[in-house]
Amino acid sequence: MGLGSGIKSVLTLSGLSRRWRIVICVMLGLALGTGVITAHLGNALSYLSESPETCMNCHVMTDAYASWQRGSHGRAAVCVDCHIPHSNPVAKLAFKAADGMKHSYVFTARSEPQVLKLSKAAQPVVQANCLRCHANHFDMIRLPGPKERKCWDCHSNVHGRVHGLSASPRPLRITPRRAEGTTR
Amino acid sequence: MSNNTPTKQLPGWAGGLIVILIAAVVAALGLLATSINERKWEAARPILVSQNIGQFESDNAVWGADYPREYDAYKRMDIDDTKTKYGGGFPRDYLDDDPRQVILFAGYGFSKDFLQARGHIYAVEDINKTKRVKHPTVDNPDVHYPGTCWTCKSPDVPRMMGEFGKEADPNETDPIKLINLGARKFYRTNWHVLKKDMKHPIGCLDCHDPKTMKLRITRPALREAFTAMGRDIDKATHQEMRSLVCAQCHVEYYFKTDKAAGKKDYLTFPWNKGTSVEAMIEYYDAAGVKDYVHPISKVPVVKCQHPDWEMYKTGVHAFRKVSCSDCHMPYRSEGGMKYTDHHVQSPLLNIANSCAVCHRWSEAELKSRVESIQTKVANARIKAEDAIVAAHFDVAAAMEAKAADAELAPIRKMIRHAQFRWDYVAANNGMGFHSPQESMRILGDAINDAQTARIHLARLIAAKGVTAPPMHPDISTRQKAMATVKSFQAGTPPKLLP
Repeated sequence: MGLGSGIKSVLTLSGLSRRWRIVICVMLGLALGTGVITAHLGNALSYLSESPETCMNCHVMTDAYASWQRGSHGRAAVCVDCHIPHSNPVAKLAFKAADGMKHSYVFTARSEPQVLKLSKAAQPVVQANCLRCHANHFDMIRLPGPKERKCWDCHSNVHGRVHGLSASPRPLRITPRRAEGTTR
Repeated sequence: MSNNTPTKQLPGWAGGLIVILIAAVVAALGLLATSINERKWEAARPILVSQNIGQFESDNAVWGADYPREYDAYKRMDIDDTKTKYGGGFPRDYLDDDPRQVILFAGYGFSKDFLQARGHIYAVEDINKTKRVKHPTVDNPDVHYPGTCWTCKSPDVPRMMGEFGKEADPNETDPIKLINLGARKFYRTNWHVLKKDMKHPIGCLDCHDPKTMKLRITRPALREAFTAMGRDIDKATHQEMRSLVCAQCHVEYYFKTDKAAGKKDYLTFPWNKGTSVEAMIEYYDAAGVKDYVHPISKVPVVKCQHPDWEMYKTGVHAFRKVSCSDCHMPYRSEGGMKYTDHHVQSPLLNIANSCAVCHRWSEAELKSRVESIQTKVANARIKAEDAIVAAHFDVAAAMEAKAADAELAPIRKMIRHAQFRWDYVAANNGMGFHSPQESMRILGDAINDAQTARIHLARLIAAKGVTAPPMHPDISTRQKAMATVKSFQAGTPPKLLP
């Protein structure tokens, strides 16, 4: 009679009357239905993709999206290219999941800051991703570590010249990209 | 079978517990779904307009019913205990802090009562309190004070100008044209007569079109000043308008009386020759404008108001097309919504939204950077005050040595210019931050003007046979400075020469 058998008895609803079983099944159906609707409303499937529009599901990211689109990297890279690690698939998924959960908690709890800054955990990730593409420029140079100086201390136009809240028209509105090549 | 797999039979209450748990999950999911939908809705339809706002609606609360976020922020301007190093919403007493200004403004209202302005929401309350307005007395019950002084205090101003405009031309319907038609009568009317109509503090109607919420210019003076410079203010872009609505009031102005043109106390900006301090001095000298004659030196002084917009135009932020609103009314993000923070205040009280949007450093770093710039300007400003105060006393000494007015006239003009230059910076809000180099340039010129005047005065006094330096009275406190001013006004000045 351990924990396993306890779980098993709950899962099989053993010993419960037929009436209880029917009620519980109906409730489970409701839960499933509500879950599907919530997932649909929240564009849950889009989180499996790497599309930058996904990041705008959460409206506070519209400014980051707008400034990225107009910045130097608007045609070369998307959000996940820089903001999650690419060292191996496990690290990638784990970071994406942890960051995503944190963001959805902050946004749902209405505790988002006015100015979005890279977190301590994100800084080395982004720095590594700068080098992932630009390493060939630095073969002969001793690079400062991410704690000494970051690439974006000088190259501040990755997200355009206008940052943050001033970057997008008001109100924050999802403006999907037009056809390729007309991102401006 | 049952012997091999001994399954525990669940008790009767377990069914109820499972149902409650599932119900909790359903409820949580439902709440989340609602929250997601609300956020989407916010982002897509930020404003729900429920009513038509009248074309001259001056009650800010009526507008606020449809724009609750903006109105809530606006109401936070009642906070009046905020202090930054040189500003904030707190009614700082400039004369207690700096008795030199009692001397500089001697003989003028600002030497009696000069407090740092509180938020816009106090505009009507505070003008009713200040000692600078002349109130009726037993001897003078019908005292006239220009209605012009209301111009920047209330959205009831465009409403009343509109009413006066309707009297002038009953067929006109365009609100802006009505306002422009009625301005002349408004300025001419006694301040105390208009008082009963001035109910609401600076607010919505002052800057917004009630139908479209677009920014618009409701004060005729700015429109006329642009016309005088050969520019059309209606061609301004939205981003320019986000500064120009402020420039309706945060500028240098004077009251022009031109009997031939039927103008009395007509609000006018001295911009015909440009908005630089030199252009204004040239304008005022040509027009012979003076606000008061200094009781110590007989210098005809022009009090500079607050040429905030003119100063801002020369700074790096204006060069980069950053508007007044970008720093003083920055955007605020609230869930799916973004709106303009209508709590107009010092950006140093909201560094995250104001500065850090572009300057992505820590708030402490940004603050120390701003304060170090301001402190340099503040120190130069005090040096200019010392020089100009000394110049006023040196003129008094020259008068004591029987120097003639003809000899003193060019020197007084230099001091007039020095004081206007100093005041151009001192009366500006922001302690020079709006344009640090321009502020320091102007203060440098002010000091040079004052000290050049003092060299001339030293020679003049020496030519009268006095070689000892004039002894300046002690003005180290507001009371001592005030006593000195009073002795000059009473015709019993202290002896400055041996």
